[in-house]
Amino acid sequence: MSVRRDEPALNVAAPIVAPYDEMLTPDGEVRPHYAALDARLSTLSTEELAERQRTQERFFLLQGITFTVYGAESSTERIIPSDILPRIIAAAEWARIEAGLTQRLRALNMFLADIYSEQQILMDGVVPRELVLQAPSYRREMQNLYVPHKAYANVCGSDLIRQPDGAFAVLEDNLRVPSGVSYMLANREASRRVFPGTFRGAGVRSIDRYPDLLLTTLKSMAADWRPNPQVVVLTPGVYNSAYYEHAYLARLMGVPLVEGRDLVVHDNMVYMRTTTGLRRIDVIYRRVDDDFIDPLTFRRDSSLGAAGLFNAYRAGNVVICNAPGTGVADDKAVYAYVPEIIKYYLGEDAILPNIETFLCREPAQLSHVLGNLDKLVVKAVGASGGYGMLVGPHSTKAQQAEFADALRADPGNYIAQPTIQLSTAPCLIDHAVEARHVDLRPFILSGEKIVVTPGALTRVALRKGSLVVNSSQGGGSKDTWVLSETKGDPK
Amino acid sequence: MMLARVADSLYWIGRYVERAEHMCRLSDVMLNATLDRSEAASQVARIALAAVGDPDVAKAKNPYDAARALALDRGDEGSIFSSIALARENARQVRDQITTETWERLNLIYLRMSDPEAGRSFEDGSQLFLHDTIADLHLFKGAGDATMSHGEGWSFLLLGVYLERAQLIGSLLEVVFGEGRRRRPISDHFALTSVLRMGCALEPYLRAYTAEMQPRLILQFLMLDEDFPRSIRFCTQEIESHLSAIIRHAGMAGSVGPDRLAGRLRARMQYADMDEIHAQGPSAFLKTVLDECAAIHRSLYDTFVAYPLEDRLPA
Repeated sequence: MSVRRDEPALNVAAPIVAPYDEMLTPDGEVRPHYAALDARLSTLSTEELAERQRTQERFFLLQGITFTVYGAESSTERIIPSDILPRIIAAAEWARIEAGLTQRLRALNMFLADIYSEQQILMDGVVPRELVLQAPSYRREMQNLYVPHKAYANVCGSDLIRQPDGAFAVLEDNLRVPSGVSYMLANREASRRVFPGTFRGAGVRSIDRYPDLLLTTLKSMAADWRPNPQVVVLTPGVYNSAYYEHAYLARLMGVPLVEGRDLVVHDNMVYMRTTTGLRRIDVIYRRVDDDFIDPLTFRRDSSLGAAGLFNAYRAGNVVICNAPGTGVADDKAVYAYVPEIIKYYLGEDAILPNIETFLCREPAQLSHVLGNLDKLVVKAVGASGGYGMLVGPHSTKAQQAEFADALRADPGNYIAQPTIQLSTAPCLIDHAVEARHVDLRPFILSGEKIVVTPGALTRVALRKGSLVVNSSQGGGSKDTWVLSETKGDPK
Repeated sequence: MMLARVADSLYWIGRYVERAEHMCRLSDVMLNATLDRSEAASQVARIALAAVGDPDVAKAKNPYDAARALALDRGDEGSIFSSIALARENARQVRDQITTETWERLNLIYLRMSDPEAGRSFEDGSQLFLHDTIADLHLFKGAGDATMSHGEGWSFLLLGVYLERAQLIGSLLEVVFGEGRRRRPISDHFALTSVLRMGCALEPYLRAYTAEMQPRLILQFLMLDEDFPRSIRFCTQEIESHLSAIIRHAGMAGSVGPDRLAGRLRARMQYADMDEIHAQGPSAFLKTVLDECAAIHRSLYDTFVAYPLEDRLPA
């Protein structure tokens, strides 16, 4: 999960650009692909809208689509707020996103295959060697290990944002254990109930096949040695915040949901304990981080995986999806090189641009960052979840000085980016339709081939003016309608 | 084929929902008695509290508070709330194994009982509250029956239901008819009717034996009736049939322990003789039944859930 910063205060020197509005043009006209929804909304009273919002919340609660908030003594389950107004993407825009994501994941898989074998790209000096080999997410255990189809990141969730000029850009790749796809599917189920007529008329592309495509992707990873492989989903367990999603995917794929304690590794084969004894497993869609999958290979104190699992993987008797060590390709510093990586392997320019990123390891860029600490966002490379971050426009002089020292002491550990403006989409806030900032997380599958699901999780910063879309910090989500070719394109 | 952990969870869902339902019914009967005569009320309350295993006799003086605590006390592992919460927690752990329709019913009950307003709903209409909970538990079982595959998982769930039910009814009968407690035999018509209500057996009993309330017939009905779904005999028939279904799924015919135990218990109930039971005293017979239920539970674990790995590793 990425963390966004709050809107810059008005005294920031950088020019304030109005965010891109998903529904309205700068002249206040409704964009063509939003016309049907707009027409429908104008026929509904605020009370009717509120009633629909309540219906949707009840649907989520009943389904148990909740996350757990742990308090001092007790824990409570809450639903992740789901906004009833869909975010709509026109066909032509989606075509570009789809092409861009496919290209990006192809290149990143090639990059992973390369750095875990010949390391040609490092020898050619396109990406600095130490940047990759010293990244905490680099796993030397993966060196020279055969990965079918060279598909390292079988499930990828990239965070896109739409910039003020309307172009989508990639803020972050997520090649480890991306989550959120169950919200994409649940939001769809809910919005079909809330706006059935509009949904039917709009020509929304279906995302229902996601579980089926995921299963096909996973099976393709073992297809060359097991005709009908046994696939399982490995979850850390019911106390994990994404547990609902793990159970949901297992249920929709029709495969067992296993925990570490269900697994037994014997003679480099992985088995699960069933009522009738042990049963062999071929493909593990793991929703457990690299560090925890095997206490013998990675963290010793982990009980979430199975001892010996990695050796079984090395021996080619089981496939772990995503492959361990994929995190090195979504490392915050490596991110800056993705356009070059695409160019290097595919000879193409990146279809989806990156956000401008300053690498503090480069002296020239470091001095630029040091001179603009009050405007930039500085992130520690290894950290995630908003830790080790300086949000320039919201920081005090003392914090800036502290970061300046840290930057000088260990420049390689930091990157900086300009403050980003997210686009806005209409949301139902307290019975009224208001604009809120949104991002976009599409899901891409790669096995024998790469498939982009025509839909996404749109995350919403529900607080006015906020750019923080994380569910832990007042974020919500909404359905994302990708329209089919014939509908909704600008005439 | 199913994960041993999953089978375990399904089994406990069955046990906990059955326990919750039984507790609701005991509370309901207890509250109902308070509306009538105070003397009988405290006798009924004593029976109900003893049947749930609460040793504190003093609570019987205030059946309403006892019922409220039994329903909603979060700190008490034996409360209805705790049983529902545990059933749901188990269901959450095997959410991929139960249908959405079934899950929704159970989740709904949990959401109502865990609502901050639950205490007030109980005070506003305690019997309605309990009645609704029982009805929703029936809906849960009905949704499962109508939407879940009647395979191995379903059999584990029902095994939990019927083992729990056999043990709960057995404990209730021991409290009412057991000779170990040096109490006057219960002969009061109202108290006997209440006992039947606790087993949800009043109407079926009336059809079988008319309105004549005879302790011996009540014991016979709740213990040995072939068709009444809450008699111990009926439970043992179901336990045997679900166990053999599981063994059939597992392809383990003829080699396992729990089905032998279940078959013996079923036969014990099928061929039991009321005169003999009375001659030796119902307590001895009920103790055998409860012990054998516990043995089936242990054997089930040893065979399907917590078996030693060494026996099952491929050669």
